[in-house]
Amino acid sequence: MKVTENKIYNPAAECMDRESIKKRQDALLKQTVEHVYNNVPLYRKRMDEAGVKPEDIRGTEDLHRLPFTNKTDLRDEFPYGLLAVPQEEIVRIQGSSGTTGKPIVSGYTQNDVDVWTEMVARSLVAAGAGKEDKIQVTYGYGLFTGGLGAHQGASAVGSMVIPMSSGNTQRQLMMMHDLGATMLCCTPSYAIFLGESLQEMGYNTKDFKLKSGCFGAEPWTEEMRDKLESLFDINAYNIYGLTEICGPGVAFECCAKDGMHINEDHVIAEIVDPKTGEPLPYGESGELVFTTITKTGMPMIRYRTHDICTLDATPCSCGRTLARMSRITGRTDDMLIIRGVNMFPSQIEEVLLKIPGVAPHYMLIVDRVNSTDRLEVQVELTEDMFSDTVSEIEKIQNAIREQIKSVVGVSANVKLVPPKSIPRSEGKAKRIIDNRGLTK
Amino acid sequence: MFITQISVYLENCKGTLRTLTKTLAEAGIDMLALSIADTTNFGIVRIVVREADIDKAIVALRENGFIAKTNHVVCAAVPNKPAGLDGLLSIIEAANISIEYMYSLYYSMDNKALMVLRLSAEDMEKEQIAALLAKESVDLISQADINKL
Repeated sequence: MKVTENKIYNPAAECMDRESIKKRQDALLKQTVEHVYNNVPLYRKRMDEAGVKPEDIRGTEDLHRLPFTNKTDLRDEFPYGLLAVPQEEIVRIQGSSGTTGKPIVSGYTQNDVDVWTEMVARSLVAAGAGKEDKIQVTYGYGLFTGGLGAHQGASAVGSMVIPMSSGNTQRQLMMMHDLGATMLCCTPSYAIFLGESLQEMGYNTKDFKLKSGCFGAEPWTEEMRDKLESLFDINAYNIYGLTEICGPGVAFECCAKDGMHINEDHVIAEIVDPKTGEPLPYGESGELVFTTITKTGMPMIRYRTHDICTLDATPCSCGRTLARMSRITGRTDDMLIIRGVNMFPSQIEEVLLKIPGVAPHYMLIVDRVNSTDRLEVQVELTEDMFSDTVSEIEKIQNAIREQIKSVVGVSANVKLVPPKSIPRSEGKAKRIIDNRGLTK
Repeated sequence: MFITQISVYLENCKGTLRTLTKTLAEAGIDMLALSIADTTNFGIVRIVVREADIDKAIVALRENGFIAKTNHVVCAAVPNKPAGLDGLLSIIEAANISIEYMYSLYYSMDNKALMVLRLSAEDMEKEQIAALLAKESVDLISQADINKL
């Protein structure tokens, strides 16, 4: 395996002593809280209800007094309700899946785009990127933050960007080979798929110039890292982010490959007990919560990610002082990530309820076949749906499949199963069987 | 003139067909015809039984978790010799009628083969299709005829 040089994009920020980080966070938190209290009705209402005034927040030690923000708030305030600046200050919209048919969107000021770009640039440089690199971006371009996020970050570093966007494996490998791409940015599962397709297409690993990759947008494992590194003879790095905060780059791995450094000069990370919401000390496993402190367009106060991990603020061998988060070990809700796309079972339910004759009894089965996520949606067949001709039944199957593709953005195999064959359970029904083994 | 057909949805997995035959066996149903349409995901089994067995079969199937439905299909007798079926199909083609599917009964009648046909046409109801075939001297078989087999 090639060795990644230990490079730091912004040493002043990334290696700041912990005390200075705290001072910066204290000052910026106060500013942000005042900004949202004065400009976002929802934040003001929530703080008033909790009996907290901006002046009560003196620093990070008072963070726990602020109410949480949830994905449902982004849905309820869709699209512009959470903006803290006039609309003309917004220069970009990015989006991601909501829990229902509607996506959630986030508005960025130029400052927010710049902050986000800086975070991705740090991530890419930590993975070895420099001016001389050719970075193939295979994340989708569009509302999804992956493509544009990686693109902006790579441009800031001064690397050559190959903006491939997602899909078309043959073309991806051809360009990677012919242009001599040195870095790859995509979901880890698609990267493995590319690596496995390489030999089938008559290429040899030696024919490629790839030295490292930044992989994210879905949870992955150390086993997948080993596989990726041997398939391409590269160093594989994890990158983490979410649209609500900015996109990829919220946290990133360095050459130590021992947790992801959180860009704490821009966000404050907390771990809370998912049930009680009580803050937990570093080292304990719980739900990750972020507060943005430099974002102006749509700041997030104590945003609950529903991702479960641990935090670690001990010094890292790379020299960065930024605290690290572990791999995501699970979710506190039922969100699934299929081929990098976030989805919720409730979205499937909404689709099914809209199709006449279809009962909302369903089960989602997720597998990974040839390194690609495969989603099967089992729907109970009703007598209304059944017909003596194959074409009529396939028509219903296709209608369900197309609706899921259009609302959720994921291709699924729809399987109609006999009535009452999906287990009914008391209370919250078990809707998901995930056989991928990505979370503990 | 139609006969009644029972259609059953089958999951495309090992053992489901056996469950169906076992269900019908235990209910003492004599099948006069059976056809299976299979796709990658599922299958549809179509069965013809005597009138007295229809309700019994449906009840037994539903009790065993199957989705089963009845519908009316055409049954035609064709000469049991070369070009016998082709003669029937040439009439159907000339009338611009589509065949969704077709299968045969295990029995013959007066040395004629019995064909079950699911027909459709853009501008004709099922009854009009049957009337048109009768006018073209197609030998249509009724459920009453089938019951005597």
